[in-house]
Amino acid sequence: MTTTPSWLYYLFSVVMLGVAAYSLVLLVSSVATRRPLGWDVDVSHFFMGLSMAGMFVTKWAFGANNVWELIFTGLVIWFLARSIQSIQRWGLHLPHFLIHALMSFAMLLMYWFPMAASTGAMSMSMSSRGAKLDPGLAFVLAFVLFASAIFTLASPNKGASHHGTHAPVYAMSASAGSEMAASHSGEETTPVVGVERLLATPRLEDASHVVMCVAMGFMLILML
Amino acid sequence: MSITETRVGRPPAASAGAARSSNAPARPARDLQRTFQLVLATVWLLDAVLQLQPFMFTPGSNGFSGMLHGIASGNPSWVADTIRWNASIIDHHPVLTNAPFALIQFLIGFGIVSKRTLKPALGLSIVWALGVWWFGEGSGGVFLGGATPFGGGPGGVLFYAVLAVLLWPRQGSDQPFVAARAVGVRAAKAVWVAVWTLLALLSVVGSGRSPEALHDLVAGMNSGQPGWLTRIDVSSASFFLHHGTAAAILLAVVCLIVAAGTFLPAPITQATLVLAIAVFAVIWVAVQNFGGILAGGATDPNSGPLVILLALTYWPLANNRATASDVAVAPAFAEQEG
Repeated sequence: MTTTPSWLYYLFSVVMLGVAAYSLVLLVSSVATRRPLGWDVDVSHFFMGLSMAGMFVTKWAFGANNVWELIFTGLVIWFLARSIQSIQRWGLHLPHFLIHALMSFAMLLMYWFPMAASTGAMSMSMSSRGAKLDPGLAFVLAFVLFASAIFTLASPNKGASHHGTHAPVYAMSASAGSEMAASHSGEETTPVVGVERLLATPRLEDASHVVMCVAMGFMLILML
Repeated sequence: MSITETRVGRPPAASAGAARSSNAPARPARDLQRTFQLVLATVWLLDAVLQLQPFMFTPGSNGFSGMLHGIASGNPSWVADTIRWNASIIDHHPVLTNAPFALIQFLIGFGIVSKRTLKPALGLSIVWALGVWWFGEGSGGVFLGGATPFGGGPGGVLFYAVLAVLLWPRQGSDQPFVAARAVGVRAAKAVWVAVWTLLALLSVVGSGRSPEALHDLVAGMNSGQPGWLTRIDVSSASFFLHHGTAAAILLAVVCLIVAAGTFLPAPITQATLVLAIAVFAVIWVAVQNFGGILAGGATDPNSGPLVILLALTYWPLANNRATASDVAVAPAFAEQEG
């Protein structure tokens, strides 16, 4: 019989809730300061964090599966549309939105395919369809997510995981960037509040992306 | 074709228009050695997460320690005893041993990312790889006479150590290939010849050329694999049963050709590297079954992807340049555009 390291799942779940809370703060500050970039990534990380916390610890799960599927389908479509838009605007390249579309797609797969068996604190039995996610697809997705985590950390363009490299002032900034990003876009801004100056740093935004990638990759590995 | 100013993911200024490109920040291109280091870090991160699977924390014959006991059997007693000693500790303290194992691999993976911790992380990876090779892989089956490269011999984890040495950071220029930057051209070529000669030798010694043994190698991987991979396995196992000896000899010949390839003119070197990459890609899928990862319970992806990465570090560079900012081959993640 397999021993479940439930403490590990609680740990991942708490971290996921932390990412969700962090993303919510960024989202609120985005609205408050009319920041034009990255809010869609904040929205996706918020939902992914909440959803994955419920996957790692079953009793923390909430919401109907259909609703979650709808949310992540919407996010896949949104990020794919943003990718196409980016290609139309900047020419042929790999838009950073693609990795967020892929992450949303991975979330969708987690709801579409149940895990073979529930294990302790964790349960992936969120669907009654009975089918199993192809391990090959899960492995490829997990590897891409791990690669995204590693290359994001190594990237000199801090904050690019949230804003892409076409937000040069923001992405290249080593400090809190919302003020600069907004001014770069030429939009009217409200003053940057203290909490945002503290939290909306490119490094923290990258860190939240890295943590999300690792947790999601772990979940996909567990589905093998 | 040589790798030179190959940039992936950068929107061409001409097509995007001058006004558009004026907004794009000047981003430094990633050094090819750095890119390979990050790919290696990604594999270490994968290994760390694989170490967190529930199977690894399970004591007894159905868990990680049981798997290690299985590896010990058949080895000479002086090897088997050390593996069993390790397995016994893991069996009694699965969490206290396995959690640090995973943590070490996380440290290596993320350590390679930071330039400040790159050297300690690569150094740790060498020590860790050698330890895992002995205690976790039973020395890759070398002492059993069953370390065929088809199965990952002489031990997939050894390639992590070789790559750590060849990707050791060093400011170098005018080197003909990335691996030469760390240790020099002659030493890098010596490593290359040693690795591929060993692979050739292991292909044909012991049970490596036995059709039955090669058949059983694939058949043993079959359990728990997805249907499409099981079908490939059935074909592979059948092929080995009928042509196992010929396949082993052919692999040995290929390995020797690849070993010699690095001394030949660049186009021929490239052809031999493509051959090596193609052969080990096929072996990784059709024989190694992605290291058994898809069946669950694997600790690493086996030797296939690491041999491919090793081959890429010997790819001839145009104008003998492997310097920073000259070369930029980066996966999608490296050049995230908005």
